[in-house]
Amino acid sequence: MDCYTANWNPLGDSAFYRKYELYSMDWDLKEELRDCLVAAAPYGGPIALLRNPWRKEKAASVRPVLEIYSASGMPLASLLWKSGPVVSLGWSAEEELLCVQEDGVVLVYGLHGDFRRHFSMGNEVLQNRVLDARIFHTEFGSGVAILTGAHRFTLSANVGDLKLRRMPEVPGLQSAPSCWTTLCQDRVAHILLAVGPDLYLLDHAACSSVTPPGLAPGVSSFLQMAVSFTYRHLALFTDTGYIWMGTTSLKEKLCEFNCNIRAPPKQMVWCSRPRSKERAVVVAWERRLMVVGDAPESIQFVLDEDSYLVPELDGVRIFSRSTHEFLHEVPVASEEIFKIASMAPGALLLEAQKEYEKESQKADEYLREIQELGQLTQAVQQCIEAAGHEHRPDMQKSLLRAASFGKCFLDRFPPDSFVRMCQDLRVLNAVRDYHIGIPLTYSQYKQLTIQVLLDRLVLRRLYPLAIQICEYLRLPEVQGVSRILAHWACYKVQQKDVSDEDVARAINQKLGDTPGVSYSDIAARAYGCGRTELAIKLLEYEPRSGEQVPLLLKMKRSKLALSKAIESGDTDLVFTVLLHLKNELNRGDFFMTLRNQPMALSLYRQFCKYQELETLKDLYNQDDNHQELGSFHIRASYAAEERIEGRVAALQTAADAFYKAKNEFAAKATEDQMRLLRLQRRLEDELGGRFLDLSLHDTVTTLILGGHNKRAEQLARDFRIPDKRLWWLKLTALADLEDWEELEKFSKSKKSPIGYLGCGSGCRRGH
Amino acid sequence: MAAHLSYGRVNLNVLREAVRRELREFLDKCAGSKAIVWDEYLTGPFGLIAQYSLLKEHEVEKMFTLKGSRLPAADVKNIIFFVRPRLELMDIIAENVLSEDRRGPARDFHILFVPRRSLLCEQRLKDLGVLGSFIHREEYSLDLIPFDGDLLSMESEGAFKQVANMMIRMKREFTGSQNSIFPVFDNLLLLDRNVDLLTPLATQLTYEGLIDEIYGIQNSYVKLPPEKFAPKKQGDGGKDLPTEAKKLQLNSAEELYAEIRDKNFNAVGSVLSKKAKVISAAFEERHNAKTVGEIKQFVSQLPHMQAARGSLANHTSIAELIKDVTTSEDFFDKLTVEQEFMSGIDTDKVNSYVEECIAQKHPLIKVLRLVCLQSVCNSGLKQKVLDYYKREILQTYGYEHILTLHNLEKAGLLKPQLGGRNNYPTIRKTLRLWMDDVNEQNPTDISYVYSGYAPLSVRLAQLLSRPGWRSIEEVLRILPGPHFEERQPLPTGLQKKRQPGENRITLIFFLGGVTFAEIAALRFLSQLEDGGTEYVIATTKLMNGASWIESLMEKPF
Repeated sequence: MDCYTANWNPLGDSAFYRKYELYSMDWDLKEELRDCLVAAAPYGGPIALLRNPWRKEKAASVRPVLEIYSASGMPLASLLWKSGPVVSLGWSAEEELLCVQEDGVVLVYGLHGDFRRHFSMGNEVLQNRVLDARIFHTEFGSGVAILTGAHRFTLSANVGDLKLRRMPEVPGLQSAPSCWTTLCQDRVAHILLAVGPDLYLLDHAACSSVTPPGLAPGVSSFLQMAVSFTYRHLALFTDTGYIWMGTTSLKEKLCEFNCNIRAPPKQMVWCSRPRSKERAVVVAWERRLMVVGDAPESIQFVLDEDSYLVPELDGVRIFSRSTHEFLHEVPVASEEIFKIASMAPGALLLEAQKEYEKESQKADEYLREIQELGQLTQAVQQCIEAAGHEHRPDMQKSLLRAASFGKCFLDRFPPDSFVRMCQDLRVLNAVRDYHIGIPLTYSQYKQLTIQVLLDRLVLRRLYPLAIQICEYLRLPEVQGVSRILAHWACYKVQQKDVSDEDVARAINQKLGDTPGVSYSDIAARAYGCGRTELAIKLLEYEPRSGEQVPLLLKMKRSKLALSKAIESGDTDLVFTVLLHLKNELNRGDFFMTLRNQPMALSLYRQFCKYQELETLKDLYNQDDNHQELGSFHIRASYAAEERIEGRVAALQTAADAFYKAKNEFAAKATEDQMRLLRLQRRLEDELGGRFLDLSLHDTVTTLILGGHNKRAEQLARDFRIPDKRLWWLKLTALADLEDWEELEKFSKSKKSPIGYLGCGSGCRRGH
Repeated sequence: MAAHLSYGRVNLNVLREAVRRELREFLDKCAGSKAIVWDEYLTGPFGLIAQYSLLKEHEVEKMFTLKGSRLPAADVKNIIFFVRPRLELMDIIAENVLSEDRRGPARDFHILFVPRRSLLCEQRLKDLGVLGSFIHREEYSLDLIPFDGDLLSMESEGAFKQVANMMIRMKREFTGSQNSIFPVFDNLLLLDRNVDLLTPLATQLTYEGLIDEIYGIQNSYVKLPPEKFAPKKQGDGGKDLPTEAKKLQLNSAEELYAEIRDKNFNAVGSVLSKKAKVISAAFEERHNAKTVGEIKQFVSQLPHMQAARGSLANHTSIAELIKDVTTSEDFFDKLTVEQEFMSGIDTDKVNSYVEECIAQKHPLIKVLRLVCLQSVCNSGLKQKVLDYYKREILQTYGYEHILTLHNLEKAGLLKPQLGGRNNYPTIRKTLRLWMDDVNEQNPTDISYVYSGYAPLSVRLAQLLSRPGWRSIEEVLRILPGPHFEERQPLPTGLQKKRQPGENRITLIFFLGGVTFAEIAALRFLSQLEDGGTEYVIATTKLMNGASWIESLMEKPF
């Protein structure tokens, strides 16, 4: 292991930087990198290349090709560029490729070269053309900043929610700035630009001139500037070969360095680790790479080929035609363990474990040494942590083995950190694999989260791997497997060369009843691709009828939607479909549809009862539902008509309907009612007082109370009131009147049909 | 405060807390002072969930009832409508909002649909041009309101029938999104009211049932005539009798009520007098208290004793009120007729008591209830008898009731006998619905709740748990509606090991309402030592015969 630190380069006293190979690239590049527009997404993302023919004087006759590769150089997509000249390429946080054209139109492509959408950066940009553009990331998403030919800036902080912001003018700006960058402070995007020896900061409202504290004199121009991954630090490269490093707020200087190279660097990026005190920038020229920090000496590398730097959270990726490397500061844990002659507990533990494997007694000595200092827990933790930062599986293994060995001598060491690290490393090693090509470091992975990593695997259509990871990590189905299967299905429906049946069957076979899968979402996707029939087939698998309905309506399958809505048992949904249908169909068809759906019909009737009485009548009419029609007219006789003739007419209609319904009883009763109404009317005319709408019983009572016994008798006969009830009626009425004489006469007139007991109780009650 | 909810085997207080939390969350969403505009129907159910104090804590300053035209003036930032999703209410809200805009400072409007948001209603609001005025439009799923330790109700007027199918489907829909939970209930029994139209029509004879029959229990509150509750002081001469109705809350939180609510009313008196003796004996104790320690102990028990005495006084008064009714001749006559019908005597001819009731113009609901009872106990009335009753009713109470009669016929409560067959005796005998030897004091069978009649619905539940429905296939075929059983397999890890002696818990869901007597009968079954099953009851509505018939009545003017 002596040579293990061979690739460690010290920078100052306290930090080491190492560069190791991630992949040897076997992409078959036709062009030199320097002839291309290059964009590489952070977090081990894909690389996009577009040979840039527009930069040359004469327009190229051949159309350029846009190529997308994974970080390991596996081709993902290749398409002929048919649109206008492109100024800049960049990846959004969702790994969508943004191509900024000269006319300010931004075209958005997916990872596989599928065109997604486009948007324009506004008229001003269109008129003045795009001079330069940057894609940057904020906590809201990805933004685009544009420098126009009129030397004005326009930016949008989030392309997902496009709001264009035109930045204020820089006074006296005649030529393009020598360099510029976007900053993100307090959740607002700013632009920092350098013009000659001056620096300007642009925010929404104003342009202010700024000066970095402690900047060495003699600067006449800034050639390059770099902002750190977290927007916290800023580095400036001047024409004197001097590098200033400080905070983005320009309030504090961290360090400076003079490299004495006056040639403008090709690229300059920050290289620092989260939570590390060390600050360093990596500067690249044609054939030279320099790591510069707070130290008198810099680290220098020779570049054999054209290289491109990709800043990462905890280091810098460097790729060229043949290799892809990672340069970073050696993490503390690794440093402690592997530093030559280190006596850190982790280092001793690793040593002890090795001796143990050799069956040497030295293992015991080392262990004792750690234990005497009481640092065994710390040693195990160090080994676990260091394992996370190792790229090579054999190193990971030996460190984890050491940790596991050390754990045996601890009573209560919580196992989670060890187990979790093992799991994380398995996942990381899997995605770092050449075929997958996502070279995430442990810190990046933790920052990115497993959910986002799964999303990215899904984006790359690596469904089986994603599912394996979910199953391995035992993620809940809804977040894990089901979600991935749903994505897979959405991808599947886009395969136009497969027949609807096959797609539907394939999807159902894979998904089955997997909980949490929304077939309606998949169907919506299918419909989006113009495959209505497939969408309908897929909807059949959707268990939630409620989910099927909106899409069916959208696809104009209203009748199917209706039956699904009914199945769902959600009345609200049924109503929604019904109202939809009502507007869509003519009345006759609408009623016919209803007729075949008794449930919908009865719901619609209820709706009409409150909302559209006339429609209700039509419905009954159409169904020949004379019974309900009768009831309808009975109600109408009370509701609408004040005049007696109108009421009688309504009742007549009702009676007719009852006859048609073969409800003889109701018809007769209604006719009786009409007779009674007319009679009551006559009584009111002749006797005065109020009779209308009294019941027959009450009418007779009122007559008796008014002393019109004859008329009462007549009425009772006309309507054939049974004797028994008439007796009760008379008794009660006479008792109320306290007309005892008449009562006595009446009770003696004929034999009481209710017995004399009833007679007595009637009198008692009246009294 | 809501301790009575947590007594049962299944802690329903959890449910109450959950809905309270949801309410608080919604209120906090609308920052600043608020006024609530209530759909009047909702105030009762909400009273069981949250008191005014809770609302006040969340800056609710004013409350109004929803009505047309303008809102009353209130100096608040937010106006929140609590409404059921009904179109006619949307019209009123729109009117409120539109007349609001012309006045003074802008206020924020919100709407809370109970229990569901409805696309239809939102569409209506949109048509009326006010949908955009609402900042928050949310739903508050107050589905099952816990009433008591073993009782849940939806308090909704109309419920949908095919709940069973929906539940099976819902299971498929929602698995995966829910974590595996230990099932609380072993069985779920769904009973559609259509299966048992008979029980609610009969007069309930338990204490609680009678309170409901006579005074009507609304959302666990009852309003009683005040005279009996006047403070008994000498020299008052009864001058200032309170005129406002006495409002009492009735639930198991009250110890005495919990003891007597489910008893047959005839057994209540003896309990009350025994209680009275115990309490006065306890008060007498004070004379025996000699030492300071004894006096202190006595004093510490005072609040509890006084509460008990107050409770006893209340229930003695209620019992007296009820007794006045139950000992009346008319009540006795009515009960006799009901019991004749239920035991199958003379159900096929016109009943003279019913005839008399009509002739003397007794309340229509009472008459309809009796006629319907007769119809149900005879599997429908002979056409002649039916027409006679109907004619009598129309002539006496007015022809407009033809609509009500039609509604009753549609509901199956009143119908002509088809095929000339009366199935009721078969059902009655097989299910032992009529028990002659009923013990009201120390019941041995559920039939005590109706002093002889065992509620069909509860009998079905009882037979399901033991010996199972296979023994009564014949009857099930006669009963209306299909019946089915569905077994839900549990993941093996979740299968509980039943402790010996531990009872199974059945959730019994009454679609279309349940009466207090049925609840009493189920509680009786739960308490049986060898019963083996405990019941938690859920329903769409707490009801009795009168409220049921009333819901089917239609008054066109």
